[in-house]
Amino acid sequence: MSVAANSETEILATLSGILQDLLGDEAIHLTMQTERQDVPGWDSLAYVNFIVATEMAFGIRFKLADVESFPDVGAIVRAIGAMRPPGGAPGAAPAR
Amino acid sequence: MLFNSYVFLLAFLPATLIGFHLTGRFGRDAALLWLIAASLVFYAWWRPLNVLLIAPSILINYAIARALLRVAAPRPRLARVLLLGGILFNIAFLGYFKYALFLTSVAHDVFGTNRLLTAVVLPLGISFITFQKIAFLVDVHGGRISRFSLRDYALFVLFFPQLVAGPIVHYREMMPQFHAAPCRCRAEDLAVGASLFCFGLFKKGILADQIATYVSPLYAAAAGGAHPALLDAWLAALGFTLQIYFDFSGYTDMALGLARCFGIRLPMNFNSPLRATSIIEFWLRWHVSLTRFLTAYIYNPLSLALTRRRLARGKAVIGRRTTPAAFVTLLLFPTLLTMFLSGLWHGAGYQYVLWGVLHGVFLCINHGWRLLRTRLWPKARRGTWPGTAAGFTLTFLAVVAAMALFRAPTVGTALRLWGGMAGLNGTTLPEAIYAHLGPLPAALGILPDWSGGAQSLEAWAWTAVLLAIALGLPNTLHLLAAHEPALGVKPQAGAGWLARRLQWTPSAAWAVGLAVLGAAGFLSLGRLSEFLYWQF
Repeated sequence: MSVAANSETEILATLSGILQDLLGDEAIHLTMQTERQDVPGWDSLAYVNFIVATEMAFGIRFKLADVESFPDVGAIVRAIGAMRPPGGAPGAAPAR
Repeated sequence: MLFNSYVFLLAFLPATLIGFHLTGRFGRDAALLWLIAASLVFYAWWRPLNVLLIAPSILINYAIARALLRVAAPRPRLARVLLLGGILFNIAFLGYFKYALFLTSVAHDVFGTNRLLTAVVLPLGISFITFQKIAFLVDVHGGRISRFSLRDYALFVLFFPQLVAGPIVHYREMMPQFHAAPCRCRAEDLAVGASLFCFGLFKKGILADQIATYVSPLYAAAAGGAHPALLDAWLAALGFTLQIYFDFSGYTDMALGLARCFGIRLPMNFNSPLRATSIIEFWLRWHVSLTRFLTAYIYNPLSLALTRRRLARGKAVIGRRTTPAAFVTLLLFPTLLTMFLSGLWHGAGYQYVLWGVLHGVFLCINHGWRLLRTRLWPKARRGTWPGTAAGFTLTFLAVVAAMALFRAPTVGTALRLWGGMAGLNGTTLPEAIYAHLGPLPAALGILPDWSGGAQSLEAWAWTAVLLAIALGLPNTLHLLAAHEPALGVKPQAGAGWLARRLQWTPSAAWAVGLAVLGAAGFLSLGRLSEFLYWQF
């Protein structure tokens, strides 16, 4: 598995955990293709809380313009991947 | 001109389509300029003066956007000032035409001042146009739009299918389409577009306008001081809910269809909202492009800023351990403010504002319930049928009751209607039915109604049919799902049992069916009625 794919999986797992906790539903498993309307109860309120909890978890801050236009979870994962400090997170081994 | 008028259907639309097809041969630039010119004619038809109002507003917005583009990166502070100036200009523009009169009447009510303004003619569609212009400036400021020309901007604002009553579109979802459109009339686009238009014309001309003939007198009577009895009050509320749904979703189908004839897809606006099982879901299905706008440009920024600020100060936010303070600051305040503005946007009147706030309260209750449920019964199974049925019933009743407020000319009228719906004004039955029920009605305190029994039965029959269509039949997006009738609609939308059987195909059966619907709609043109949403 490539480095990028590995860190994608890891980010996805963290995001799934955040949303599970917010919605109290442990059956939630996000994929790169998941859209908000696919998850019952992921409304505008839960979305804002999800975004802020994600910012806390990864130590980042999304741009407002991005928050409104993430089409799916994959876009959020890519945005996080682009913002994380290189090599700063577990699993993100330096490229060989 | 109205979509449902002879001049539009027999002259403007054919001429515009043929012109588009012919100018398309000379290249995209010519075809797009043709569309702008046609849209200006469309807009000027009611009042040529309108063009003199909208043209400077387009030029000023364009100039501000250009300046924003230049200073956004090197001078962020100046960019913010420019953005704020641009938003204020647009709000002031809308405010003068739409709210000046309302504000003077509020001042009159509160302070007893004299009314100075007597009449301001509202340029058509100004509320919709203003929202799109503000969104454009915010998007340029946020770096989401990096290239645009005056032609593209003018086309974005003026494109006639969505000009006067939406759907409210984003520049970034429209322009790539115009830049990629083949700029000639294609068979599939014309077939899908004309089909959508026929559905819309039928919904508006037959369904909405017919139920309106039963509903309007009830509101007129209540406005005149009458206290409607139980069944009449419910007919008024339920009938108007169906009227506005078929009116506005019919209008939207027509707008989607018209745009599609030019190869352009507009975003969806309605997705069977009356089937929603919660108020939150209702707003994701009703006037979707407005909800999307309000969420993106008011609710999200406000809610995000407040949540971040509370977190930075170490205070509780909304989640498993929501505190009352967090609930008020992070949910109640942004939701009520957003819905208050939504109400005000709909119209300058106390009843619109109250309608918005009422829906804000509904939304807060809905969100509060979701939080409470997660905390109290974390393991409870979701989506059980009794829960869904209860959610549907409650949502439906809340929406219908609120619609009476939306339609009533004054708040007092709405209160009389609500009183009637609650049974405070007694119950009557048409005499013809009353007489056949023996001593039962009298024992229940029901009185005979000697006026218009047949018409009342007819009205209820129409209500039942419209309700069955709204709740039971696949909607137009479902039927045409395989052809992306609105931006982003996926083929899976037509996966329901009935939708699969009724899927639209370019077949003889559908051609006959749609011709009947279209012809019925066309024949209803004589009575020419305006779309409810064209006043906003």
